[in-house]
Amino acid sequence: MFRQNSIAALLLATVWVSFAAAETLEYNRDVRPILTENCFACHGVDSASREADLRLDQREAALEYGAIAPGDSAESELIARIFTDDPDLLMPPRETKKQLTPKQKQLLKQWIDSGAEYEAHWGYIPPRSVVPPAVEHQSRVKNAIDSLVLSRLEKEGLAPAPEANPRTLFRRLHLDIIGLPPKPADVQKFVADYQARHDGALSEWIDRLMEMPAWGEHRARYWLDAARYADTHGLHFDNYREMWPYRDWVIRSFNANQPFDQFAVEQLAGDLLPNPDTDQLIATGFQRCNITTNEGGTIAEENLALYAADRVQTFGWVFLGLTTNCAQCHDHKFDPFSTKEYYSLAAFFRNTKSPALDGNVKGGKGPTLTVPSEVDRPRWNALPGEIAAAKQHQKQRAEHSEGDFQKWLANATPDSVGNIPSDGLAVQVPLDEGSGTEVRVDASTVSKVKFSGPVEWHDDGALGPAPVFRTGSTLNVGNYGDFEKNQAFSYGAWVKTTKQGGNVGATGAILARMDQDKDHRGWDLWHSGNVISVHLIDSWDKNAIKVSTAQNVIEPTKWQHFFVTYDGSAKAAGIKIYVDGQPTGMKVERDSLTNDATLHTDVPLFIGKRSKGQVFDSGMVQDVRIYDRQLAPEEVRSLAKSTVVGALLAKSLEERSKEETAVLQGYYLAEQDPQYQAIAKQLGQLEAEKKTIEGRSPITHIQKEKPNSQPVAHVLMRGAYDQLGEEVTAAIPASLHPFPADAPLNRMGLAQWVVDPSNPLTARVTVNRFWLEVFGQGIVSTPEDFGVSGALPSNQKLLDWLAIDFIDSGWDVKRFFKQIFMSATYRQAAATTPEKLEQDPDNGMLSRGPRFRMDGEVIRDSALSVSGLLSPRMYGPGTRPYQPGNIWEIMGLPGGDTRNYTQDQGEGLYRRTIYNFWKRMAPSPNMEAFNAPSREVCTVQRERTNTPLQALVTLNDPQFVEAARHLALHALETGKGDDGALTYITQRVLARRCTEDERSILLGSKEDYLRHYENSPADAKKLIEVGDSPTSERFDAPTLAAWTMVCSQVMNLDEALNK
Amino acid sequence: MNDHFTRRQFLASGKHLLGGAALAMLRGDSAYASTGGGLPLETHFLPRAKQVIYLHMVGGPSQMDLFDYKPGLVDYYDQDLPDSIRKGQRLTTMTSGQARFPIAPSKYQFKQAGKCGMWLNQEMLPWLAKKADDICWIRSLHTEAINHEPAIAAMQTGNQVAGRPCLGAWASYGLGAINENLPAFVVLVAIPSNREQEQAISSRLWSAGYLSGEHAGVSFRSQGDPILYINDPPGVPRELRRRSIDGINALNQINYHNLGDPRTHTRMQQYEMAFRMQASVPELTDLSSESDHTFEMYGGEAKKPGTFANSVLMARRLTERGVRFVQIYHNNWDHHSNVGGRLPDQCKDVDKPCYALLEDLEQRGMLDETLVIWGGEFGRTIYSQGQLSPTNYGRDHHPRCFSMWMAGGGAKGGTIYGETDDFSYNIVKDPVHIRDFHATILQLMGFDHERFTYRYQGLDQKLTGVVPAHVIPELIA
Repeated sequence: MFRQNSIAALLLATVWVSFAAAETLEYNRDVRPILTENCFACHGVDSASREADLRLDQREAALEYGAIAPGDSAESELIARIFTDDPDLLMPPRETKKQLTPKQKQLLKQWIDSGAEYEAHWGYIPPRSVVPPAVEHQSRVKNAIDSLVLSRLEKEGLAPAPEANPRTLFRRLHLDIIGLPPKPADVQKFVADYQARHDGALSEWIDRLMEMPAWGEHRARYWLDAARYADTHGLHFDNYREMWPYRDWVIRSFNANQPFDQFAVEQLAGDLLPNPDTDQLIATGFQRCNITTNEGGTIAEENLALYAADRVQTFGWVFLGLTTNCAQCHDHKFDPFSTKEYYSLAAFFRNTKSPALDGNVKGGKGPTLTVPSEVDRPRWNALPGEIAAAKQHQKQRAEHSEGDFQKWLANATPDSVGNIPSDGLAVQVPLDEGSGTEVRVDASTVSKVKFSGPVEWHDDGALGPAPVFRTGSTLNVGNYGDFEKNQAFSYGAWVKTTKQGGNVGATGAILARMDQDKDHRGWDLWHSGNVISVHLIDSWDKNAIKVSTAQNVIEPTKWQHFFVTYDGSAKAAGIKIYVDGQPTGMKVERDSLTNDATLHTDVPLFIGKRSKGQVFDSGMVQDVRIYDRQLAPEEVRSLAKSTVVGALLAKSLEERSKEETAVLQGYYLAEQDPQYQAIAKQLGQLEAEKKTIEGRSPITHIQKEKPNSQPVAHVLMRGAYDQLGEEVTAAIPASLHPFPADAPLNRMGLAQWVVDPSNPLTARVTVNRFWLEVFGQGIVSTPEDFGVSGALPSNQKLLDWLAIDFIDSGWDVKRFFKQIFMSATYRQAAATTPEKLEQDPDNGMLSRGPRFRMDGEVIRDSALSVSGLLSPRMYGPGTRPYQPGNIWEIMGLPGGDTRNYTQDQGEGLYRRTIYNFWKRMAPSPNMEAFNAPSREVCTVQRERTNTPLQALVTLNDPQFVEAARHLALHALETGKGDDGALTYITQRVLARRCTEDERSILLGSKEDYLRHYENSPADAKKLIEVGDSPTSERFDAPTLAAWTMVCSQVMNLDEALNK
Repeated sequence: MNDHFTRRQFLASGKHLLGGAALAMLRGDSAYASTGGGLPLETHFLPRAKQVIYLHMVGGPSQMDLFDYKPGLVDYYDQDLPDSIRKGQRLTTMTSGQARFPIAPSKYQFKQAGKCGMWLNQEMLPWLAKKADDICWIRSLHTEAINHEPAIAAMQTGNQVAGRPCLGAWASYGLGAINENLPAFVVLVAIPSNREQEQAISSRLWSAGYLSGEHAGVSFRSQGDPILYINDPPGVPRELRRRSIDGINALNQINYHNLGDPRTHTRMQQYEMAFRMQASVPELTDLSSESDHTFEMYGGEAKKPGTFANSVLMARRLTERGVRFVQIYHNNWDHHSNVGGRLPDQCKDVDKPCYALLEDLEQRGMLDETLVIWGGEFGRTIYSQGQLSPTNYGRDHHPRCFSMWMAGGGAKGGTIYGETDDFSYNIVKDPVHIRDFHATILQLMGFDHERFTYRYQGLDQKLTGVVPAHVIPELIA
């Protein structure tokens, strides 16, 4: 173990070497870091914090001010100020707690004496084409990457590491390409092939691996961190957000090797492409992955400002490697971005339809897209056209039906439209008198009853003039409708609600025989808002049935026929509700009528209220009918149609208004015209098909530009949403390369600007991130910050060569990675030496092969893979594998839909980790232990810590314990004794046989485990029952348990956890 | 070269190369060594608060019903809040649509407590009142945030936007760990007895932000394993776990020999630490060693896992064992309605246990060096949200003034700091912005908040942010 002071010495040595190796001073490499660290905060870009009106970041300004006299340090105020003994004059001022070292002072002096040449920040200068240099270790060069890496290594006096053992190389390739370890048989084949055909073999194996769908799963994972993809909204309730088609699109895109520039454009502006297809719209989900809230009391403008800030930050980090978000509150301290430019950039992302509140619903209340499965997609795409055509066809038939209609009308009589069921009609109340307060009741005898108050009659009834029901104007019909629960009966009426805008919030009884004083005993026809319900009640709400229409069926201001049939079964399933003669979808809200329940009450039948109140206020009702039997569906249908049509036909031609003739024509077409009926039937089928597909298809969040609106934003003073500054139009920062002349000033233009080959950043930032995935760190070690305060590239020529090559290849991602994998640099062994540990402690110079602790997902997937448990199923909604209790529960709010974690059963426990349901407030804890981010914000580089909590996961998490048991089982199944089993295990996990030393350690462990489990078979049984999968009876419990422990031991090795 | 520089360079280059370092901090009769990468910084002053227990009341307790006594308001019952007081302040959209803002005087009786004469709602807080002279009362906190998510983030991290390191992470970063077998920063989420209107809290509140991940809070759970995955699988007794770790590390040693990667050594140490942590946690969470006297003090609820009383007792045990910073969250203080129905439950949860914690720490001689902080993320409005009656009312969020208290760890007991106007609406004397409060806490921990920084994105980031913050000397003993 190192001591602190030796580390310090080691670091000093590194610093010293880099200066000593400098042939000539370079501003970007040698001078700018000193100025950035010590001077620019007060003498830089930010005008608000600028002192003494001096800028040192621009040569002209510094010269004019007299701070710098090129070639003459003695005349330069800057030099005088940094060397002075006078504490009042000394720079940097003491209160900044910054201090220049003598070496730094000397260096600044030297720089001014040699002419004080500035350079633009390296990141803003387009990459220059690089000719790979000749190197000493020419024999080690496989491609340009090697020349550029070796050239650097040789300069530092370091030699590359020898090539890795082919097995190790093959394991590394697997983990880098598909994120899974190789199968032993493939290892053997590869080793033989590689020894025989070398590069040719390697190339083919790489291609083969890249063709596997697991390639896309592995690559997508990194992108999803950057895109901050997750399955919940992120804030407050943190409810489910349906977004996974975007995740699947990213996987498919990598598998299809979509060129990166297209990949970028579709995510930034897919909706603005000409006729975007489904995939291009799904891609825009990149911009909808930001966290959102539905917290009551939050302010829309503030939320929108925060969402825009997140989109700008993500955009800046992912595509430009720029920390633009600093400029949200103040001009950037180091990079040439003003606050105004920040908001101009934000403007690109604010001209959209994304809402301020997500509604705690899966669709987030913003633009979404229904995404049918591959199977459904052809029909889904065809249906809108077919439906439109059918409607057109229907319209044409209606227009050409006049002759046939007249022919029918000439002979039609009230009887010819079908029979109105009269059998079992217990009571009928027509409600068509048109004046007065007395109305007729037809039952076994005809009687008259009186409204409770004055009645308002309207002429536009369904059947003649109709009364309006109000509080104080309802109807006590008398002792009718006294049914028991085991009697079948049917009832309903023509109904119209007159309230404009519907009945939202209102409730009332249309028809009821119900005693409110006796726990609401009885039955009714009820409306709640625009939903129709039926109650059959003994005592509410313990002993009752309630069914409601699944949809808002009431169409306000329209006459509709609502009818209920009941079969006397005392079950909710025995009730049907019809709307205009058609049965409608229902939901059961109560179904608890007991055997001894009764519906009998002494209160009379009311129209427009229950016994005491709950009035159907402002509603109109006509033709109330109660039957003492269950009407058949065709009878209800006939009733709905015939009552109105029959009445119209009874009128003479002269009496009929134009509207009434239109009603008759509508009836004719729907009921009597075979051509029209055929079309209507077809249309109904098409619409039902569309609904069915919609019902089984996921939705995904997409981005949509506001039409007819220019992208603008307000500068927010100090970033505060309620302090609006000037309005700015969309623009890119002026110091970066120009906006393409012909590009539109919207996200599409922005996307084109991003992938413009003259953009100095996008390609570099992208290849750097890819490089990071393979080597564990970027050539620029701050992948989100290529700006002035970011790290300098450890090998800029390499970075530039890769960037140019990437663009020249047409942004070919597979080719890019393959080039890395083919390089000798990648093929190096990971072994290090004390010398390299000193000079290249982080392997930034690539003096050896990449070796680092893998991401949690790869560790879990590998465990599943070696145990044979891994499911190959791809795509779909998030899975819920093993998770300790109370992870979600403790975070979630009551009523939240991600408050209770219901673990999957079977396959869902063993899918690849990329499919884990990602709840932002409580991500999978075993992944979090390995630095998986919460995905609340963009992450372009995960932290990589090594902590005891990780050891606890891989030792104790049932996911890993169960995997160890299955690996043990397979090892024992080889039937080749202890050595055979050991070989199987290490080949599977480490892609190699164990050495003699390792063998004796492992067998020693095994003997101890076995001794314990033979003495304590109960322990053995407990261990092999961890996990949902059934345990095997093939081997005795102590043996299987002991080998489970051996497998766990191997799976916990540093070598197993590292690439 | 000073240690600070070394540490920074070390973290920037050889990230987490080391599992532990040689901080020896003596405490009583046992010697502790720091671990988990918890290399401490050099403090700027002698730390007064070597350990911290922070009790966050999620939702925002009602200051005028507990600490901010406004006797004159009885006469203003159901009268509109004068415009001269509200001054067009922004309201949450929950009450901004309200037609009027009727004043709801507190229904509770206040009495003076202690020699300091702090006016307290002793109906609700009879036990806390006994500690009035040990407590440093602040009635003039203020913040900008007006909704929970950003307000809790601001209170915990100094910034409304999520993702910055919280106070506990800063403490871990600055002071390091004391006990190598336990995390430096532990979080306990207490379950309130009344769960009428809880607010979302998430692990982002105890994240390390841009600091290294090792400084993130480790959540101790009241149900299941106290630390996730701490328990060995069924059928693996301790001695077998010992055997397996020996086996793992023997193999890792061979690997280290072959490849020379120092991180392999780190991993070996982490497996050892995991083993020790497994051994120490059951002892930690086993309350059977606590005396009857303890449970008399904390109340019977302390025996029930997950209660606030149980959590503060755990906090005492964690602190005793060298955990640097214990954060407890207690929910359901968001009283938009039914203050009368809910405040008693809340106070019953916290009153006696808070008293017991202070008393217990004092009895064990730990209070001098342990800072206890109590408070929410903002205050509540004097005007009623929704229905107002003399005995019940609701209160909306109010960022302009709220009350908190501290005790021990160098906080000046018996201080009553800050005043609000007659409506507990605006601060009229000695305002304490939360960044001033943070600066003061850091001072107690031994750090000058201006110099206690971490370099990120080219800037020296600090808890107190860019707007000048001030240590409040009156709060320090």
